[in-house]
Amino acid sequence: MRYFDARVIENRSLGGGYFVLRLGGCEPLAGSRPGQFVMLRGDWGRDPLLPRPLSLLSVAHEGRADLLAKVVGRGTALMERSPPGARVSVLGPLGNSFPVPSANMTDLLVAGGVGLPPLFMQAESAARLGMADGSEMLYGGRTSRDLVLLGEMRSLGIAMHLVTEDGSLGRRGRVTDELEARIERWRAADSDRRLRIMSCGPREMLWAVGRIAQNCDIECYLSLEEQMACGIGVCLGCAVAARTRQYRYVCKEGPVFPAAEVMSHAPAASTSGMEAGAP
Amino acid sequence: MTSSLDTREERTPTLRTSCGGIEFRNPVLTASGTFGYGQEFDTLLSLPRLGGLVTKGISPKPRFGNPPPRICETAAGMLNSIGLENVGVEAFALEKLPFLRSCGTRVLVNFFGTTFDEYVDCGARLAALDGVDGLEMNVSCPNIKAGGIEFGRDPSVLGDLVRACRAVIRKPFWVKLTPNTSDIVALARACADNGADAVSIINTITAMAIDARTRRPKIGTVFGGLSGPAIKPVALRMVYQVHRARIPIPICGIGGIQDGTDAIEFLLAGASCVQVGTQSFVDPASAERIVREIECYCHAQGVNDVRELIGGLAIGH
Repeated sequence: MRYFDARVIENRSLGGGYFVLRLGGCEPLAGSRPGQFVMLRGDWGRDPLLPRPLSLLSVAHEGRADLLAKVVGRGTALMERSPPGARVSVLGPLGNSFPVPSANMTDLLVAGGVGLPPLFMQAESAARLGMADGSEMLYGGRTSRDLVLLGEMRSLGIAMHLVTEDGSLGRRGRVTDELEARIERWRAADSDRRLRIMSCGPREMLWAVGRIAQNCDIECYLSLEEQMACGIGVCLGCAVAARTRQYRYVCKEGPVFPAAEVMSHAPAASTSGMEAGAP
Repeated sequence: MTSSLDTREERTPTLRTSCGGIEFRNPVLTASGTFGYGQEFDTLLSLPRLGGLVTKGISPKPRFGNPPPRICETAAGMLNSIGLENVGVEAFALEKLPFLRSCGTRVLVNFFGTTFDEYVDCGARLAALDGVDGLEMNVSCPNIKAGGIEFGRDPSVLGDLVRACRAVIRKPFWVKLTPNTSDIVALARACADNGADAVSIINTITAMAIDARTRRPKIGTVFGGLSGPAIKPVALRMVYQVHRARIPIPICGIGGIQDGTDAIEFLLAGASCVQVGTQSFVDPASAERIVREIECYCHAQGVNDVRELIGGLAIGH
């Protein structure tokens, strides 16, 4: 993990508020693994204040790193307008990663909207290891505008199953419907490979994926997202309820967790009836 | 007329300062809750270049903290309700202190309790540890036996707590004051009158944030502590009020410091040293940078000794 300055080389709009920031000067990110993230901040003064956690999409030679983001607030809106040459501060690589592809496993990569980056990187890693046939991407969004980088993914050579809620691209419905269908097919095929699920996306989708995996007794890893200020286990802002301990920290102990570890509690604690805590 | 000889003789300004019984290499410390137990930042900046660090608040027993969501961003600041999560005295001594003993900078340990006895017990145990240069007491905690009112809001309760802890702490002993009061001077005086060596001003300001879309509070406990540059003017005002009241113990200034100029402003208001808090999240190497920026300011302003700046605010004509 290093803290360094990088520069925007290219800022490519993908429509629908999605964009890919290509950064140069990211040599310290060499060797980053799928699931890891960076804390990123532009030169934009005192407000917004905190750096933003962003999953790595791809890390290439010569210090190049790609990040996929969607405009959801002030920070991402400023990033989306960052011109080539803009300076950004980067802290990373941070957090843990998905398990490495394995010859006796079929990995179902279940991505929802802007949760794509770590799974894209996982697919890229599988392709690089010559194991593209052992991974399948299940990619869902509200509309076709939420499904991005399809050409890049196709070129990795992994099977893709697209799902949109409005049916504007791929199967109509939710990505979890497709997941259940894939599991059924895998069972019917009686493959000697074990099935494994890795997922990243909106919290509700992750819990649904986790529940399906639990019901079908399939190994499953979820990459969680949470508000965080530091990314290095100091602010303790990114606590999530866990099974074996009261809380786990997305930045330091995650963002990738075995589903069983984080599935036993409701997604968010109730805010009613709480007394003010001591900050 | 300035000759080249004069330039060569120009002295490097001394940044050494002292506060509450501790000598510091420079006036820049890092604030409790924003710097972990120090080791987390070991590869991000040079700890020996800092004046000192203040650890996460330690309680007698480990605490798990509050339910999420625990933080949210606000205009030029952030709100937190971590719930004073920490490893407890025993694990601190065993797991965190060995690194701190050799980290090359001054170490203050922040501590708290939820009852009077817990405060005294925790303070005594931490003060007895080798490698602890001083203690900073967090009094922004709900007093369970007094209906959850913070210990630090009532000058007489605070005075009693300071006196009881002072009796068992034979090391430099600072008290971090809450800004959630109408009379910061009365709180500082209660500390000075009962034997504290310094006051740290200020802790976070109680605040809230609402998500209009979901109609819910943005953090789980509804209220949280506001920090960051948004609170700097309030912090400066409180530091200056306590300084102006001639409270006979020094002040460590805290609140929204982002750069060397911010730190200098606190010294001018009357602080003998400062703590960098939320900025360590924004830029993890900021405390070290701020030391350099103070040095540059001193050079540019012809200040030979940083202590000349303390309380140097020019009022009137």
